[in-house]
Amino acid sequence: MIVAETVREQTRARYPDEEGYVERDGVRVFYEVYGDGEPTVLLLPTWSIVHSRVWKLQIPYLARHCRVVTFDPRGNGKSDRPLEASAYDEHELAADALTVLDATETERAVLVSLSLGAHRALLLAAGRPNRVAGAVFICPSVPLASRPGDQFSYSFEEPFDAYHGWAKVNRHYWLVDFRGFLEFFFSQMFTEPHSTKQVEDCVGWGLETTPEVLIATAYAAQVKKDEARALSSQIACPVLVLQGTEDAIEGPARGIALAQATGGRLVLLAGSGHGPHARDPVRVNLLIREFVESLS
Amino acid sequence: VIVTETAREQTRARYPDEEGYVERDGVQIYWERYGEGERTVTFLPTWHIIHSRSWKAQVPYLARQFRVVIFDPRGNGKSDRPQTGYAVEDYYRDALAVLDAARVERTVVVGFSDGTYPAVMLAALAPELVESVVLIGGQSEEETPAEFWHSRQRYEGWDKYNAVYWLEHYEEFLWWFFAQVCSEPHSTKQIEDSVGWGLETTADVLVANEREFDRRIGPLLARVRCPVLVIHGTEDAVAEPEHGISLAQELGAPIVLLEGSGHGPQMRDPVKVNGLLREFVEPGPAREPRAGTWTRARSRPRRALYVSSPIGLGHARRDVAIAKELRKLHPELEIDWLAQHPVTAVLEEEGERIHPASAELANESGHIESESAEHDLHVFQAWRRMDEILVANFMLFHDVVRDDPYDLWIGDEAWEVDYFLHENPELKTAAYVWLTDFVGWLPMSDGGDREAFLTADYNAEMIEQIARFPRVRDQAIFVGNPEDLVPDSFGPELPAIRDWTEQHYDFAGYVTGFEPVQDRERLRAELGYSPGEQVCIVTVGGSGDAYPPAKELVPELRMIVVAGPRIDPATLPEEDGLEVRSYVHDLYRHLAASDLAVVQGGLTTAMELTANGRPFLYFPLRHHFEQNFHVRHRLERYGAGRRMDFDEATPDVTAQAIAEEIGREVDYLPVETDGAAKAAARIAELL
Repeated sequence: MIVAETVREQTRARYPDEEGYVERDGVRVFYEVYGDGEPTVLLLPTWSIVHSRVWKLQIPYLARHCRVVTFDPRGNGKSDRPLEASAYDEHELAADALTVLDATETERAVLVSLSLGAHRALLLAAGRPNRVAGAVFICPSVPLASRPGDQFSYSFEEPFDAYHGWAKVNRHYWLVDFRGFLEFFFSQMFTEPHSTKQVEDCVGWGLETTPEVLIATAYAAQVKKDEARALSSQIACPVLVLQGTEDAIEGPARGIALAQATGGRLVLLAGSGHGPHARDPVRVNLLIREFVESLS
Repeated sequence: VIVTETAREQTRARYPDEEGYVERDGVQIYWERYGEGERTVTFLPTWHIIHSRSWKAQVPYLARQFRVVIFDPRGNGKSDRPQTGYAVEDYYRDALAVLDAARVERTVVVGFSDGTYPAVMLAALAPELVESVVLIGGQSEEETPAEFWHSRQRYEGWDKYNAVYWLEHYEEFLWWFFAQVCSEPHSTKQIEDSVGWGLETTADVLVANEREFDRRIGPLLARVRCPVLVIHGTEDAVAEPEHGISLAQELGAPIVLLEGSGHGPQMRDPVKVNGLLREFVEPGPAREPRAGTWTRARSRPRRALYVSSPIGLGHARRDVAIAKELRKLHPELEIDWLAQHPVTAVLEEEGERIHPASAELANESGHIESESAEHDLHVFQAWRRMDEILVANFMLFHDVVRDDPYDLWIGDEAWEVDYFLHENPELKTAAYVWLTDFVGWLPMSDGGDREAFLTADYNAEMIEQIARFPRVRDQAIFVGNPEDLVPDSFGPELPAIRDWTEQHYDFAGYVTGFEPVQDRERLRAELGYSPGEQVCIVTVGGSGDAYPPAKELVPELRMIVVAGPRIDPATLPEEDGLEVRSYVHDLYRHLAASDLAVVQGGLTTAMELTANGRPFLYFPLRHHFEQNFHVRHRLERYGAGRRMDFDEATPDVTAQAIAEEIGREVDYLPVETDGAAKAAARIAELL
């Protein structure tokens, strides 16, 4: 696959009304605020392999109806790129989110998370119920069920002679062919035919960080199965789970399990992969808006 | 003004699940309850010039989701008509009594026109009962002017709002008044309905109301705390839209202005008003994203929803034939059918998939049957009297397609779909094909000027709809050929039917839905008809009387009368040798095997006989414009059949015709056999 060079950012449909940085333990995190409606929707970062532009199809629409806050994860975008694994501990990402909420004077927000972002969302929704009005999980990467295939099942440490398929999730491979990994990974994220633009975008965002940063994230502490179950049962706010049935990274079982564990509503997106927010943005936007409105 | 008789109530789309009377101060108030939903919607009566049937376009739809309570006002319907006791407080207390009798603890209250006063009173004075209020066509606080009580030389316009005029010219007043209420063009049915309800009470009862009904309820507005929705037509000629706007302002309520609507949008724009009511009544959580599955466009199989009219027997088989041809062109196409008896009987036999919502359709064929007398069906009026059923069935259709995206909707004479899509074009979310085998409502001569006016008015409305929203019908297919179109015009100053239809339709040719019989001798043998017999199959009631004289003229005659499932064969005259059967399986095969058929003037049966080259006598139903004009014209073009007049056909006349026609070799124009394929080819372009 041929991917275009990282080019200057394409014209946005809407630019932030406010932007800034928060700093925690010397790590600066960049945030943006759009619109001034009620309530506030916090679009959480997912894995640092991409940054807040991943929400570019949601921001302009949602900002017309509510206030939108988003931020770049540590490790990508305009945020700093620490190289220690501890900096990417899930509790650090959740703490960044709270700091951004404080900095933007946001008392309560509706959380929208994608994939790995579910870990932060679980910590926030269960741990800070007074700050969270509701939570939307899109194709959540929560370990409540196993993945359907060999995703993330090969050794990350061990060098191989050749790296095929999911064996590309390997620190040695990343260091020699980072782009090759990005292209593979995002081809799995968007299994829907005709997804070239979504793949190119994500590969481009991936190239804005380095294999060293991603390697650090790979050693960071995540939410484990038992903790995920406990957090899910603690969540009191309304929950909506959007899950693609053709999700080739997590498989649909995890989203279904999260909806059950939280008592939330499940909307299955038949034929969608792991990134329906980018590939089926209209339906996802409408679902998020309906959910947000139902909370008022 | 031409006035129709107060007719018996037309078939409802839904009947109450509970009804009763509640008595207050010796006055009996009649109420009805529909549905079992958790939430209750109460429609208040308005001015007792009409009664609870005025909510007929709302009740069936809302009762599918909610508990609905309606009641007749004191002074009309099945409620008493006291000489006094028509103060606003009386209406308010009647409402309280009904809610109590119907065991309603909390309800949404909907008031229209004069019904908005008791609605506001309920919200202000019984807040524990009222969760929210909808006010449609809200009135001002004007007092009855002094001139109301005095006679005038002449009564022009609103002068007719006058006690003396009412007492002397009550019916004229009703026609004039409801023309103001339903000021939208083409409102004949709504006006007729309302006048009919008005005639169920009397002028002195209305005058009594005027003496007591005090509209000054202003101070109560400040006490309304519950959510309120105001709906008002911008062309309201009874309560100016400014009244609705200021009402909304005083209540701090949202107002939905219906641009172009008159005073009674719930009658004239029922689909929009029903949608507004449901949205308003539905509790918050129902607006949450509904759990379920959404399928991305590329992953969807091609799907069509086929709405096949149950009126007349002909549609089912031709629609199945078209569906089969369509599948040849799109083998992966999934077709769901929204249909009812008798169409569903054919569909089940064919293994077609009937959409489960079909079970909730209000019964159309039952209504048509109930409108029939002996060999008489005023089909235009029967269709008009189906307005409530058509709204209810459109709302069901809308629910089905809103939840479930189809690529294509096909409506074979699906009047409700076609009419209300043109009235609510924003609800069209799929490609849409309209099929019909006749174009143009035509008056029967004994319907006089009124019927000529009405049919022209309906035609004009249809022509306007299609001129204004050509995007609604992606295909309009005439089941027939241009020559089958009658040479008439749509009405005074309207185009010729054939010219207009040729411009707006494609022509598929006739669709029989079956292969013509090839080996008739074998079929006769199979059905037990011997070669020497002259077999005459009769499906027209009364024609059995012709058997004795016909038998004299045709000694080999074997006559079989098929009485149909609704007629007890025992009630038919017994004649030696005459065979009477209540039901014949696969009747069309017997007709194909016969030497002569004696049938009604329905298109399907007549064209089956034509396609099979059988001689036949046909008796158009009295007052059935389609059989008397459209079908007759088509049969004459094919040179098929011999038309008989039911009223003039004595047994001897019929016997003579039987003798002349039976066994005759015919030279009909051949009936095309590729109609279904042609129709399917046009439809397939949309998939």
